[in-house]
Amino acid sequence: MGSNSLHVLKGINFKAEDGELVAIMGSSGSGKSTLLNILGMLDVADTGEYTLDGVPIKDLSETKAAQYRNKFLGFIFQSFNLINYKSALENVALPLYYQKVGRKERQEKAMSYLEKVGLKEWASHLPSELSGGQKQRVAIARAMAAEPKVLLADEPTGALDSTTSYEVMDLIQKINDEGNTILVVTHEEDIAHMCKRIVHLKDGVIVEDKKIKQVRAQQHV
Amino acid sequence: MFDRDIWQEIFHTLKNNKLRTFLTGFSVGWAIFILVMLLASVNGMQNGFTSQFNDDATNSIFIRPGTTAKAYGGFEAGRRIQLKNDDFEYVKNSFPKDIEYISSRYFTGTTARYKSETGSYSVQAVHPDHQIIEKTIITEGRFFNNADVLNKAKVAVIGRKVAEDLFKKEEPLGKYVEFNGLPFKVIGIFTDDGDDNAERRIYAPISTYQGIYGNTNVINQLVLTYNPTYDLTKALEFSGRLEELMKRRHKVAPDDQAGINVWNYAEAFDDISSFSAVLNTISIGVGFLILIAGIVGIGNIMVFTIKERTKEIGVRKALGAQPKQIINLVLLESTFITALSGFIGLIFAWIILSVIGPTINTPAFTNPSVSLSTVVTATIILIVAGVLAGLIPAIKAANVKPIVALSDK
Repeated sequence: MGSNSLHVLKGINFKAEDGELVAIMGSSGSGKSTLLNILGMLDVADTGEYTLDGVPIKDLSETKAAQYRNKFLGFIFQSFNLINYKSALENVALPLYYQKVGRKERQEKAMSYLEKVGLKEWASHLPSELSGGQKQRVAIARAMAAEPKVLLADEPTGALDSTTSYEVMDLIQKINDEGNTILVVTHEEDIAHMCKRIVHLKDGVIVEDKKIKQVRAQQHV
Repeated sequence: MFDRDIWQEIFHTLKNNKLRTFLTGFSVGWAIFILVMLLASVNGMQNGFTSQFNDDATNSIFIRPGTTAKAYGGFEAGRRIQLKNDDFEYVKNSFPKDIEYISSRYFTGTTARYKSETGSYSVQAVHPDHQIIEKTIITEGRFFNNADVLNKAKVAVIGRKVAEDLFKKEEPLGKYVEFNGLPFKVIGIFTDDGDDNAERRIYAPISTYQGIYGNTNVINQLVLTYNPTYDLTKALEFSGRLEELMKRRHKVAPDDQAGINVWNYAEAFDDISSFSAVLNTISIGVGFLILIAGIVGIGNIMVFTIKERTKEIGVRKALGAQPKQIINLVLLESTFITALSGFIGLIFAWIILSVIGPTINTPAFTNPSVSLSTVVTATIILIVAGVLAGLIPAIKAANVKPIVALSDK
């Protein structure tokens, strides 16, 4: 956007395996959000290839991109981005609606994911009636509802206090334990160390890519 | 497009933005209200016109003599033209195919007396055809017939007001009333809706009046109706022929309207029809302009709505909403608001019209109302308007880039 083009990412070679939990770290302006947006098909790379689950992602029409996002990706945002006039259950059911899942099945599925994040009793509440941690858990349930290939979390704990952050990370770890691939953008060391691999970005290039020993969030809760 | 979820979404949005919904709806509802009221008012004026003219047959022609304004045929200007009984016979026999009904008119006045009640009334001495030409409604008894004219019978048909004045609660039919001292038998009573003065009139056979008051063969006017199958052109052509003939007969200059005036109702009626048609067109035009203002209002508010909901739309797109689904949502919302508020405006206007309409009954404005076709047209306009109002904002919404929408953290 804008008239001045700015090269944020300058050659990224990155591959995530099935079932990985990757933290993408870097200071602000390092290009970590841009990378996540390209991976999330919210933005397009000027050059290069992007293959998701064997499908080349290029020259997507708006409609096609929407379908891929719906099928392959689940988003978790720093500011939760729940729709404020919809109940927790309706929020979780929304991606299923765009998958054209029938109403009844949608409700049941959404409810089971809410149960998974421990918010079954809050199903009929509006986002404004939930705490920050609860909101993020609803957002995680929503991201998972569509059963995507990859969960993309952009600073998922950025708006939460540390206790709540660990609760959310505990949830993300558990989801990962079930075999889901998750990419977490964060600038917090402790959050990054709760992942299994850390990718450090600096000025648009990967400066470090290492596997680490995962710190379980459970022990902090 | 018409599944339950999309409606639920729409109701959600509307419920959560009551003021916005109200303002949006109001502009369209108001526009439709004005449009309907405007059309109804024109309709009321048309009704007023027609009721004014309905009094007489719309295919009638009046021949009125006057004083010549131009010297012609050896006569100086200022000559009084006088119609006589032979003019009646002449016109009647000259155009047997063109004339439907014809009657002479002889105007006079009389003092009428019944027992102790007296009153002054105008008298029109006419032929029996006059009843049909003037559309005189006989409520009791009958109008006089050709036999009465031949026999110079002293019979009278009196207006409702005359009957009330003179006979009070007595039954006037068959009673004798004195006109300037001579007894006339009341054979009928007529009424005239709209005009009280017309009901203070008395009809009598022309021959009777010509015979007993002055023994004359003079008449004041000729009235006739032409063949009702004639269209306007044919009617005008006939009245032209009639005028030419009458002017030649009385040696009046062909372009002298003061000497003999042949007045064709069709002409005047045609003027009024085209007048009200123009009025109708103007009102539809004005109504449309108001409606456009309403549509622009809706479009405006929809654009604002989209701006406000940019983030939400971004989230939806991130979750996999396709552009056409977003368009659907916005379009349906605007159509729904337009249609609903338009209907409310329509119903309001309709209620006001059906309550107040029938009570309005002045000469120029009678029973304003709208026809079903107006309502149907308005409804179609509404739905189209809703789609139009939502279209641009909907396309705008569909093109919102999720990354842009989500960036304002």
